[in-house]
Amino acid sequence: MKIGLEIHQRLACGKLFCGCPSTMAEQDAKPDLIIRRRLHPVFSELGEIDLASKAEFEKDRSFVYQVFAGSDCLVEMDEEPPHRLNPEALSIALELAQHLHMKSVDELHVMRKIVINGSNTSGFQRTAIVALDGKLETSRGEIDIPLLAIEEESAGDVGTSGNETTYRLDRLGIPLVEITTTPDILDGAHLVEVAEKIGMMMRATGKVARGLGTIRQDVNISTEKGARVEIKGAQDLKMLPMLAQNEVKRQDALVAILGELRARFKGKAVLNGGISDVSQIFKSTKSPLISKGIASGSSVFGLALEKHAGLIGREIQPGKRYGTELSDYAKAAGVKGIIHSDEDMAKYSISDSELSALRGMIGMKPDDAFVLVVAPAEQAKAALTKVLERARMDFVPEETRRANPDATTTYMRPLPGRARMYPETDVPPIPITAELLKAVSKGETLEEKKARLLKMLGNAEMADKMLRSRNLGLFEKLVEGGAEPMLAASTLENTLVSLRREGAEIKEPGPVLEELFALYGKGKFVKSAIPDILKEVAKGKSVADAGKDYSIISGKELEKIAKDLGYDLRAIMSKYRTRVDSKELDRILKGDIRK
Amino acid sequence: MLKKKGIEAGDEVTIACPKGSFTGLLMPRPEGAPDTFVLKLPSGYNLGISAKGASIVLVRKSGKKEIRHEPEEGRGDISILGCGGTIASKVEYKTGAVYPAITPAELRAAFPSLAKLAKIHSRQLFTLFSEDMNAHHWKLLAEEAAKEIRAGSHGVVVMHGTDTMTYTTAALSFMLQDLPAPIVFVGAQRSSDRPSSENEMNMLNAVFSAKQDLGEVALCMHASSSDDYCHLHRGTRVRKMHTSRRDAFHSINSAPIAAVDYQNNRFEPLSGYRKRSGQASGLKAETKLNDNVALVYVYPGIKPKFIEKLDSYDGVVLIGTGLGHVPVNSFNDKTAHSILPQVKGLMDSGIPVVMAPQTIHGRLNMLVYTTGRMLVDAGVIGDGMDWTPECAFVKLCWVLGQTKDMKKVKELMETDIAGEISGRSPIGVY
Repeated sequence: MKIGLEIHQRLACGKLFCGCPSTMAEQDAKPDLIIRRRLHPVFSELGEIDLASKAEFEKDRSFVYQVFAGSDCLVEMDEEPPHRLNPEALSIALELAQHLHMKSVDELHVMRKIVINGSNTSGFQRTAIVALDGKLETSRGEIDIPLLAIEEESAGDVGTSGNETTYRLDRLGIPLVEITTTPDILDGAHLVEVAEKIGMMMRATGKVARGLGTIRQDVNISTEKGARVEIKGAQDLKMLPMLAQNEVKRQDALVAILGELRARFKGKAVLNGGISDVSQIFKSTKSPLISKGIASGSSVFGLALEKHAGLIGREIQPGKRYGTELSDYAKAAGVKGIIHSDEDMAKYSISDSELSALRGMIGMKPDDAFVLVVAPAEQAKAALTKVLERARMDFVPEETRRANPDATTTYMRPLPGRARMYPETDVPPIPITAELLKAVSKGETLEEKKARLLKMLGNAEMADKMLRSRNLGLFEKLVEGGAEPMLAASTLENTLVSLRREGAEIKEPGPVLEELFALYGKGKFVKSAIPDILKEVAKGKSVADAGKDYSIISGKELEKIAKDLGYDLRAIMSKYRTRVDSKELDRILKGDIRK
Repeated sequence: MLKKKGIEAGDEVTIACPKGSFTGLLMPRPEGAPDTFVLKLPSGYNLGISAKGASIVLVRKSGKKEIRHEPEEGRGDISILGCGGTIASKVEYKTGAVYPAITPAELRAAFPSLAKLAKIHSRQLFTLFSEDMNAHHWKLLAEEAAKEIRAGSHGVVVMHGTDTMTYTTAALSFMLQDLPAPIVFVGAQRSSDRPSSENEMNMLNAVFSAKQDLGEVALCMHASSSDDYCHLHRGTRVRKMHTSRRDAFHSINSAPIAAVDYQNNRFEPLSGYRKRSGQASGLKAETKLNDNVALVYVYPGIKPKFIEKLDSYDGVVLIGTGLGHVPVNSFNDKTAHSILPQVKGLMDSGIPVVMAPQTIHGRLNMLVYTTGRMLVDAGVIGDGMDWTPECAFVKLCWVLGQTKDMKKVKELMETDIAGEISGRSPIGVY
């Protein structure tokens, strides 16, 4: 088994080829403008077109684009040529390359990578190699990092309805780095280590975007007897070992099915592939699925798969069968799913007589299987054609698959052939000069940062927590401004978290904490008041006002309180814990005892 | 250095440099640092490697390029003439080179729906960016378009760069009157080598328009930012109003001729237009033109000397402010500088001066203010006209090709020849 990793990480700066911010509109925001477009593949000199493009083109799609005025301009709408490549993004990419000990190119050439599923309004993705030939140390040896590229994010997929796919343009153009490893990752655990290490290295620079969806991990897995499969969209690192394991199992199970078929056919499997309209069998069916379909104008089409009895229902992934694969191929033609003979017909309320009529009509023998599709005639035929295509493959196909939350995968499309790329002539080549490289602040390595945090905090657990934290940048800023490291760290990592759990979330902790620690530094309140002050701020009070409510009681006033409460430490603290400096109180009480 | 080793662009090479060794195809050098090699890696990516301290070794020479000869095809129903605007391209992904598609077979490959729409034949007249075109090319194009129509073409489509397309459409409108067949100009704002190019829709709608009962020179481009339908604009009324948008072309002071959508067989008239008229066999292009005309943008503080120095031209079009004004110092203020004497000087020496609006939209009226009246008294032509500056310029060039007589020039300029002047300002078109 060979495993490779491809990471796409969004950068924390404006869009790559225009002046828009890399902020996305709210999930449920209404677009400011809707435009409709079609894309057409540009044939090469030799009239070739690669498999994945062909697949898209066959669908004859049109695209609806949602434009959001706060995140999009004419560039995203493909109504204006790209601006110069964002120098801040380039700088961040060069810094990341340096952390991976890579060699940057001497001149950066932006390329157009043809994409015609509509996820780029221009019909291509702009991408460029920034650096090559890097390395990552892991606990089980060195991994090669052959490529770091900078490219633009695609538009967000909203959904497909019939022939129309809708995308949101707010995501389009956000800068990404793509980091690719060689397929030398040893196993699932190693995969997690590599992904974590690269992820942490990037986050420690403070210059990459944080939050859901800002990093995507694609895993390439190939097995000896199977094929190379690209699994996209595994968001949760913890899922990776299971994902890899399930994919290997899936490929092995498919190989076993192929072997079984060869045995049954006593040689190469031959499928005759007759697709027939069997609607008349179900004219008065009691099956709700089928009768509803027919009533709304759909037909029922059937396909016999010779000698496949029992194989379609065989489980190849946890909870997924070979039939699920066939169904996913059918779905690519726009139908909702298939019905196959290894299922329990009672599930669909298909009667025994309907079943035997069907078997007769499509000419099935006892060890054959069938696949049915209920859909408008043209779509149904197209779907079964895809199923037949898949069933006829006497090998495990190379595919792009989607990672599911349960660590299984689902077919998306055929693995693309070599990317069709040609130069982006609207953006001139960018020399990567010595001056530019010098100006790129490499900053600390991950190891150096780890050591520095440990020294600052004196606590290994908190240092590790801070290193992985989204608040690392803010932490450094607060410490630079004079805050006590441990206090800043625990406020960020513990206090804010428990406040959020209580429903008292502070939306913009940066300015709040800066002001808080400035006032604390001036001695306006005591450490133990901080959580309560923040709770008030979460409710809407300003830091200054909340701070006043907890102003320190000291001097004569404190002495009076101590006296009034009989110098009883417990009584005093239970009432004034958040208002008194324990050291001062201690002095007063001790003084009294001496009295 | 490359020549010495017999290495050319397209050859497979290995470049060894301090950073490592890279094998790929050597790319032709685009504009940029001359001391950098550009290499295309097997993955398809290009990158630049400094030639300093690098050595290059030939691995394999590129194969000779096969020139495919396509069989000659007969005349089509619709003629497509190319002026260089690449409305159709092919990309060679191996090297990244982009080639224009011009033969009928290439156009049919680029636009699969074309064959269903019409039988075409095509030829390239010349290859220029449209900003490099001038009166010579307008004349050539008018003669070639007339030739096509005389030979039996039912309609002509002209592929032209978008920058100066409307100067050419205006020129052809004056040079070819009483058209028995339409001449439809088409272009693309997004270069045609990209999948998002609006070229396909524009081209097919242009061919569809060329089949209609239309006897004018027109321009067919996107009506909106969506790929839904095109507008067909009158050649004397259209202007490019945006540097880059698909829907950059607008009709000025009038509605477009029609909304066009070949997919739904829709040719929806939006204003009146001339139908086919006259005999195809008798079509002649009146290409006499005097292009020694200056088009001058007027601005506050424009120097009288500047206007004086225009006396080497045979005609001047002033793009004036507001209703058709230039500085004439109506109030005789010490701080203002009139150019009226210089304008009058031009007119008196037989150089006609024509007014056009800087505002682009709207009708000139030089009788409302003193300024305008003084210009009219001096003989400036243009009061009451609602033409665009570009069309006024082209028209003056054409008129001066017909006559030198100042009275006749004024008469011809003020006569509507090809829809460039109208008596009514329609509502709803601004």
